[in-house]
Amino acid sequence: MNLKVTIAGTEFKSPVIAASGTFGLGREYNAFYDVSLLGGIATKGLTLEPREGNGGTRIAETPSGILNCVGLQNPGVEKFVADELPFLDKLGTVIIANVAGSTEEDYLKIAERFSRTSVDCLELNISCPNVKCGGVAFGVEPASVEHITRAVKAVCGAKPLIVKLTPNVARIADNAAAAENGGADAISLINTITGMAIDYKTRRPVLGNVTGGLSGPCVKPIALRMVYEAYRAVKIPIIGMGGIQTPEDVLEFMIAGASAVQVGSANIFDPMAAITIVKGLTKLLNSCKIDDVNEVIGSLII
Amino acid sequence: MKDIIFTVQSKKFLSESVFELKLHTRFTLPPMRAGQFAHIEVPDASLCLRRPFCLYQFDRHSITLVIAVVGKGTKSLSNLKRSDTVRGIVPLGNGFTLSVRHQKIALIGGGIGCAPLLRVPYDYPGREFRSYLGFSTKSGVMFCEEFEQALSVGFLNDAGGGCDGLKKSSRITVSTDDGSFGFKGYAADAFLADYKKGYRPDVILTCGPEPMIKAVQKISAELKIPGFMSGEMRMGCGIGACLVCACAVREDGQVKNKRACVDGPVFRLEDLIF
Repeated sequence: MNLKVTIAGTEFKSPVIAASGTFGLGREYNAFYDVSLLGGIATKGLTLEPREGNGGTRIAETPSGILNCVGLQNPGVEKFVADELPFLDKLGTVIIANVAGSTEEDYLKIAERFSRTSVDCLELNISCPNVKCGGVAFGVEPASVEHITRAVKAVCGAKPLIVKLTPNVARIADNAAAAENGGADAISLINTITGMAIDYKTRRPVLGNVTGGLSGPCVKPIALRMVYEAYRAVKIPIIGMGGIQTPEDVLEFMIAGASAVQVGSANIFDPMAAITIVKGLTKLLNSCKIDDVNEVIGSLII
Repeated sequence: MKDIIFTVQSKKFLSESVFELKLHTRFTLPPMRAGQFAHIEVPDASLCLRRPFCLYQFDRHSITLVIAVVGKGTKSLSNLKRSDTVRGIVPLGNGFTLSVRHQKIALIGGGIGCAPLLRVPYDYPGREFRSYLGFSTKSGVMFCEEFEQALSVGFLNDAGGGCDGLKKSSRITVSTDDGSFGFKGYAADAFLADYKKGYRPDVILTCGPEPMIKAVQKISAELKIPGFMSGEMRMGCGIGACLVCACAVREDGQVKNKRACVDGPVFRLEDLIF
């Protein structure tokens, strides 16, 4: 049984990666299980300077999902490198640094900084819907996706660059192709879908930021469709995500074209979710008589 | 903290919309303290988030929660039946921590916000507690017997009053907003009435609706009596990773967003920013 997948020269022991923003910086879940058993960990979005995030309510529950507007609360790159990276380094799993900026200069500085650290890959977050200036501003127009990807790729040295795409666009295939043209080594999708919750009693938005990002099982069909469309548009590997909760979900994303997947909201719902999926995937592959998980990638029959 | 499969041992309605849920496990639970909470799965697949509830009572194999039915999740939990199973992470949060200087303790609770205060006297036996339990009206009054019992801890020879020289009953003041039972007014007002009579606690612990916490924060500042509060926040993971339960608190002269789930849910009243 082979669960190993390789993306842009980086080997993942399992195709199941913890998604950015739902796994903190790894420590919290390590109290529940050995997080090194995961294929990888994508860190919380990291900015040049520390950020306190958004004020007011940051989460709302929706049918089979959640809306969030955390607003990239994080300790900043330097504090992360000094205080958190040594812990992550010791784990022995792939560490993906999620890079979040508000200006092009920010992105370049952060990427350059990470090129001189032990992180395994960079994930370019041009898709956070919850910060006012920047972030998603780079991720909507294919031309700007290509531009920022090219600029960041030029400074991240030997580190593979994964570009994380927002679903809040006209044609996901165009944005996927733009990232590939800009030199991305892989793409990851989908980030959250912009949504809203209103309290009819107070007539006010539930979220402090008015709108937020929708995630959880409710977005899975949309994510699956987008992975399928992106797979037909690019040759670089795809990391799929959006509402994954079970090993069956993992196989569905891989069949649609993902080389690996990220598990996000499920970690918030159940601290054991990611490891339960990793363990369940072996059983599922056995029961499907699949010896190598790589054989399902892009195997969709239409 | 551990994610544990519990079995419903009992369910009892304390009022029309508030119930007590006792959950049992054959596993030995980790040590727990007053003010900590459990993060409980909702038996409805469309409601993904767990719900945080304070630990009202607990022992080595069980936890008891007090739950107000306020939405779909708590409604769903109210339909649990004896021997149903439900998953929960326990214990979470920092809980109430008293120093040795805190010998005289005032507990001020509002509604089901009284629940997390109940275990404090068990964690700090031999200290002098008074509790002020506030409710909107007589039909909502609850927890009286439980607090009577809790405040008896360390006061077994109670015939002539405990070591604070008061009878047990006078260490508990129940108030109702409409005056239909006990003191007429808010729990904070009942506390102030005792303060005017000379009561000087070393610390105030409070939990309840936001207006009450604001009122107690003001009292704490004006009377220069330090205080701690336990609040209610919308929560995500419950273990400190997702950062959705941020509370604005003062720290080293700066405003910081702290996580209610691991940095709280108990915060110093003076640090809290509304």
